Amino acid sequence: MRGALRQRWIYPASAVLSALLLGGCVSATVDEMTYNEPVAGIGESSVVILGRRHAPDYDTEFDFIECIGDHIHSGDPSIEVINEIAFINQFYPWFEPRTAPMQPQTIDRLLELPVVANQFAEMKLEYMIWIDGKTVDTNRVGSMSCGIGPGVAGCFGFGTWGTESAYEATIWDFTDKVEVGKVSALTSGQSYMPAVIVPIPIIAPVQGTACDSLGDQLLEYLSAHH
Amino acid sequence: MWRRLLLLCLTLLLAGCTTRQVVVDGKFPSPLLDPLPVTLGVIYPQAFAEHEFFDEAKGRAETDWLVKTGEAQVVFWDKIFNGMFDEVVHIRDWETVQARGADIDGVIIPAITDLQYTIPTHTNVKIYEIWMRYDFRLVDISAIHRQEDGALTVNPDERLVAWPITAYGKTPTAFLQTDEEAVNLAAVVALRDAGAHFISTFGATPDIAVWLDGLANGGDQSDPLPTPDTIDEPVPVIENESPALDAPGGTDDPTTTTAEGGSELPTAGAGSAS
Repeated sequence: MRGALRQRWIYPASAVLSALLLGGCVSATVDEMTYNEPVAGIGESSVVILGRRHAPDYDTEFDFIECIGDHIHSGDPSIEVINEIAFINQFYPWFEPRTAPMQPQTIDRLLELPVVANQFAEMKLEYMIWIDGKTVDTNRVGSMSCGIGPGVAGCFGFGTWGTESAYEATIWDFTDKVEVGKVSALTSGQSYMPAVIVPIPIIAPVQGTACDSLGDQLLEYLSAHH
Repeated sequence: MWRRLLLLCLTLLLAGCTTRQVVVDGKFPSPLLDPLPVTLGVIYPQAFAEHEFFDEAKGRAETDWLVKTGEAQVVFWDKIFNGMFDEVVHIRDWETVQARGADIDGVIIPAITDLQYTIPTHTNVKIYEIWMRYDFRLVDISAIHRQEDGALTVNPDERLVAWPITAYGKTPTAFLQTDEEAVNLAAVVALRDAGAHFISTFGATPDIAVWLDGLANGGDQSDPLPTPDTIDEPVPVIENESPALDAPGGTDDPTTTTAEGGSELPTAGAGSAS
């Protein structure tokens, strides 16, 4: 009886409490400007989401791009999102930072190569979405000391830091070679790390919130069911 | 317990004195291209095929770095050349020159003339970077000569085209766990960038365009172009009938390739090797 109670109430409650405790607060601002929305969805066509990596001081994270792709596909499984790394490798060297098209009109130059044009045709690519941005930590304050001795180890102190994400998604209609929208997400949050013997990280899911925010907007644009 | 602690302290102390070594390793895609109707000869000089750079620590807080790129260079450029040209012939000995010489439209000889890198301890920026400069030479097969000892040489005066390619690769620290992984990935990104640069500018390089036009028209393009930095002595590219990897090399400068040397040591500035 006690075991059943523990399994039914105490474990889920402690899991929820832990999640609340271990997650810092995050604020998000999303801007959207889109047009020519595919009201019937994209059918059997596919979408590729690519990160911009030509800036000198940052690269858009590969795992962030994967997160958005997963978000869209889980929201509407009928949308085929092509894996970014597989796409870049398949079309090497045409989507490297040095050679990637910066304007939708320049895709026509790529399509002059028959072998590239054939690959795109096979892929039934309808939308190419470029994500540009980064997540950075800011304002790190506090201190923590850790020590180790014979049979004893532990930390004591408190640290806190802010995290900011800024991402912009640019949607290209691959058939008409035009830009059909921009979605941006700015998120920020504060994380904490108190330590009394054991450090307890309370991490603000800033990048995850940015992923969800951008993913929701893109899903709304691409899917007929949202 | 105390013995373990002592061992841990010793390990930490010695860690500051050791060289951190990276053998560049990556999976490289084949380029998506329609191959040019060209049979290309390729010579990888030893200094290229065994390219490495060593950066000596400048203080107690730093460690020595040894990054070996040669093996990855050969694997990568083989993929690029195989994707770009109808047929690629590796020239490792005089027999190949004699047997395939008539088929070969031109011989390409790559060299790495400069390599610079930065890690976060150099710059306080959370990015690992590698910058490379290549010099490519394209020569006619007739410019490859055999010395009395069997070594293959090429006279710099007889080159058809010489052109530089620069490449840059960076890895933000957030992507990876260790310095070695980050340096490896930066090198892989730099190699990919080198290939992208090479492919996207190959046909647009004026002297190469002339050479390709000559091939398309069936003309003889073997007349060497005038070069400002000519050297009278022929430059050895492959020594004494052994494969390129076995031949003694030297600095990877195309005009000063010699039969001496080994690892490339930094010459000027932090994180620079040439």
